[in-house]
Amino acid sequence: MSTRTPGALWKPLLKQLWLPVLCVAVLLVATAGSTSFYFPPATDVLATLWRELLHGGLVGDLLFSLRNIALGLGIATVVGVGAGLVIGEVDLLRQATGPLLDFARATPTVAFVPVIILTLGIGSGPKVFLIALGSVWPILLNTVSGVHGINPAVHETAHSYRIPWRLRLLKVVLPGALPQIFAGIRVALSIAVVLMVVSEIYGSPVGLGNFILQSGSSFAVPETWAGTVLIGILGYGLSVLLLAAEYALLGWYHQRPPRARRSLSRNEV
Amino acid sequence: MAISTTDRRPAAPDRKRRARPARRTRAGGPGRRVLLLLQLSAVLAVLLLWAALAAAGLVSSTALPGPTAVFGTFPELFGTSAYWQAVGDTLNGALTGFLAAAVIGVPLGLVTGTYAAAEQSSRLLVDVLRSFPVIALLPVFLLVLGSTPTTKTTVVFLACVFPVFLQAQYGARSVTPMIAETMDSYRVPRHLRFRKVILPSATPSVMTGLRLAATTSVLVAIGVEVLTTLPGIGHEVVLAQQGGAAAQAYAYIITAGTIGYSINLLSQFAERRLLRWRPPAHTD
Repeated sequence: MSTRTPGALWKPLLKQLWLPVLCVAVLLVATAGSTSFYFPPATDVLATLWRELLHGGLVGDLLFSLRNIALGLGIATVVGVGAGLVIGEVDLLRQATGPLLDFARATPTVAFVPVIILTLGIGSGPKVFLIALGSVWPILLNTVSGVHGINPAVHETAHSYRIPWRLRLLKVVLPGALPQIFAGIRVALSIAVVLMVVSEIYGSPVGLGNFILQSGSSFAVPETWAGTVLIGILGYGLSVLLLAAEYALLGWYHQRPPRARRSLSRNEV
Repeated sequence: MAISTTDRRPAAPDRKRRARPARRTRAGGPGRRVLLLLQLSAVLAVLLLWAALAAAGLVSSTALPGPTAVFGTFPELFGTSAYWQAVGDTLNGALTGFLAAAVIGVPLGLVTGTYAAAEQSSRLLVDVLRSFPVIALLPVFLLVLGSTPTTKTTVVFLACVFPVFLQAQYGARSVTPMIAETMDSYRVPRHLRFRKVILPSATPSVMTGLRLAATTSVLVAIGVEVLTTLPGIGHEVVLAQQGGAAAQAYAYIITAGTIGYSINLLSQFAERRLLRWRPPAHTD
């Protein structure tokens, strides 16, 4: 990475960019004169998106959705990492709760959406709860396996030097598990976005999910596509943001040669 | 730069799993029977906590009915054909979409993974598409395709095809440079190379992709059913909850969890059977 000359920098960029650019171009050309009701010209969709963002209430919807994701994911991270550290440290607890946690993770949280929203209401609170409920499991399980996967020699060294538990937690266990924790958060983020959309489509007065539902059911096709595109941008933007945070926090880890890294075996959807 | 740093690290499937037998003997730990007892008591503890929570009345019984009420509905549900019909509908939609994703995603991933140029050019596109929450396409699909089983299958397919594709690609790329160079210098013909080298070394990763997709397929199918009037487990949850039968709604949720959990166990079993030829402590 560091030994790149300027010429070598844009070449891979070009190699990665030509296909997406081609796809967008094809999309623009193919739909340019489209008179189809369901597939309006892509330029129309983008114009609608821009207009709704500037003059419509789309920014409010976006902020509502973003806030729910941030709160839900934040709660899930705190709870998941906290519980994961404890479960990962206590071997007996880890073995006893194994199947239980696997079951909890395998239960599709989307099935909880009607139950929670019909009983707790259509406000923001139940949605945050649902997002936290869905995204806590990958974080928790990854933290457990991250803590468990720390080299036993490291543990024993920390023990034999009688390093106090608080120091050990902050300087040994947490950094050791951090790569896995981040992998868990990355999975959790995609779950959080899905739950945001589902919970808002199911019942909500505001939010991006509500926007695409409303425009879809009133046959406002460009608006529906525009909202869908915005959700896509949101999903990608959040994952890039998370990656940036990961590089900032885990620079030491990614600078290691790949072979020295521990494999991330549990980052599954 | 932003582009070259968005490297994807798909789930590395294998190293830990391969090392498992060694780990188990090393860890020693409690015996099999004691472990089972521990796990059972953990399940029991959670059930007790659930019962206590429901009995304490902190949450209304429509939001969280007690475990006895929930499990009490199972014998009755098992006798109805609606229950099995719902399970069948969900599995049908999930399986069709999953199979389509496997048939398209695995070959495409293997081929693009074999050629560096193809992998590089598809990277950004796949990255963007992959992070797209497919369920958000539902309103669009409802407009275009209507509320039909095709909609469910299509959404499931789109949600499953990217994990399968990425893991297959990742697997095909995992051939070590040394082996690749050896094949080059011996001029191993392409089809032989594909069948004897790339395919076997990609299999663990492909299996991981399929396992991820299998879980996703059920999840997405249920998600679609919750939001539309398409029959299936998700729709039954909605109907039960709207009809005030919260216990029945929870029974369906537990059914969904059991399906997801069984898929996980089954695919882990299949993975182990398929990859038995691998030496357990293989390192690359």
